Amino acid sequence: MIVGVLMLVGGAAAGVFGSLLGLGGGVLIVPLLTLGFGLPLREAVGVSLVSVIMTSSAAAGVYLERHVANLRLGMSLELFTAFGALIGGSVAFLLDERLLALLFAVLSGYIALTMIRRRTETGPQPTGGEGEPDGYVVHDMPKGIVGATFAGIISALLGVGGGIVKVPLMNLVMGVPLRVATATSNLMIGITAAASAVIYLSRGEIDPYVAGPTAIGVFLGATLGSRIAPRVDLRYLRAAFVVVLVYTSFEMLMKAIG
Amino acid sequence: MKGYGFDARIGRLMIVMTYIAVGLLVVGVVLMLANGISPLDGAPTFDIHAIPDALKAGAPVGFLWLGLIAVIATPLVRVAVSAVGFAREGQWRMVAIGAGILLVIAVGIASSLVLEH
Repeated sequence: MIVGVLMLVGGAAAGVFGSLLGLGGGVLIVPLLTLGFGLPLREAVGVSLVSVIMTSSAAAGVYLERHVANLRLGMSLELFTAFGALIGGSVAFLLDERLLALLFAVLSGYIALTMIRRRTETGPQPTGGEGEPDGYVVHDMPKGIVGATFAGIISALLGVGGGIVKVPLMNLVMGVPLRVATATSNLMIGITAAASAVIYLSRGEIDPYVAGPTAIGVFLGATLGSRIAPRVDLRYLRAAFVVVLVYTSFEMLMKAIG
Repeated sequence: MKGYGFDARIGRLMIVMTYIAVGLLVVGVVLMLANGISPLDGAPTFDIHAIPDALKAGAPVGFLWLGLIAVIATPLVRVAVSAVGFAREGQWRMVAIGAGILLVIAVGIASSLVLEH
């Protein structure tokens, strides 16, 4: 019983962290389950995908109701993230777990570096514009297609939502305002993760006894995170998150080396 | 053009489906904890035909599997409903995209089932 409660609490912590820092939480759930509970990496990825779908569906529903997410752009890119996820989900079962751990170490390290850079940047952000969904023109669709496919592969291999690729892709390359890019990415995460989750499910890599408490924890944590966000000083939280990511990257690297 | 009303209805559908999935998972986890089952015990392999019997028997695994299916189905239902909405409006490009997404996912399921057997 205690392990179940710990998973629920751990999932909630990942959900709060992820929600406050604008991440899906997948980058925390995989290390939580592998390093914290000793689960095989592939099983942790399967559980993480389910948790990511749940939080993304709830948030995307709200974004659609508030007319922030761009449904048509999201669906157009989803076709390619789903295709990428199909490739990634199939390749994941052919790769050695140590290689997956190495890829996860690289991803965690990259996100940590991105957060450090964002923290040290001063002055106005070059692409931080807010805007109504109709007040912009989407361009460079071919690059968007390539990027979306890549995001799908990463998501399926490592159990993350892929927002770390999709948001900058839409914002910097396709000219979508940041707020709309974030909301549309959230919408797309559901299909991206579902496309590979069905593969993990069919191949018996999702354990409901692990997925149940973890997914509920992540959902509750993400809900709480979105409510307390305005009152939290993100500077310290971001610093703590960087420490967690660097530690995760190191541990995953050790796992990869064997 | 369907516009914002259409998007809002799809959004509400997603929220309702998510809460149904959460409800099923909560029932499963409560039953799991009440029966002293540890997450590390290892659950039976996924078998869609076994879910009705597990639900009738009040087994936690039945509610957990159904909840997980509801979680994974939520974005798929969103795409299917959107495609139907676009079809009513005659937006055939979006209908084709929606059908394409569902086809890719169907290929994923079929290929993994074939590889498993």
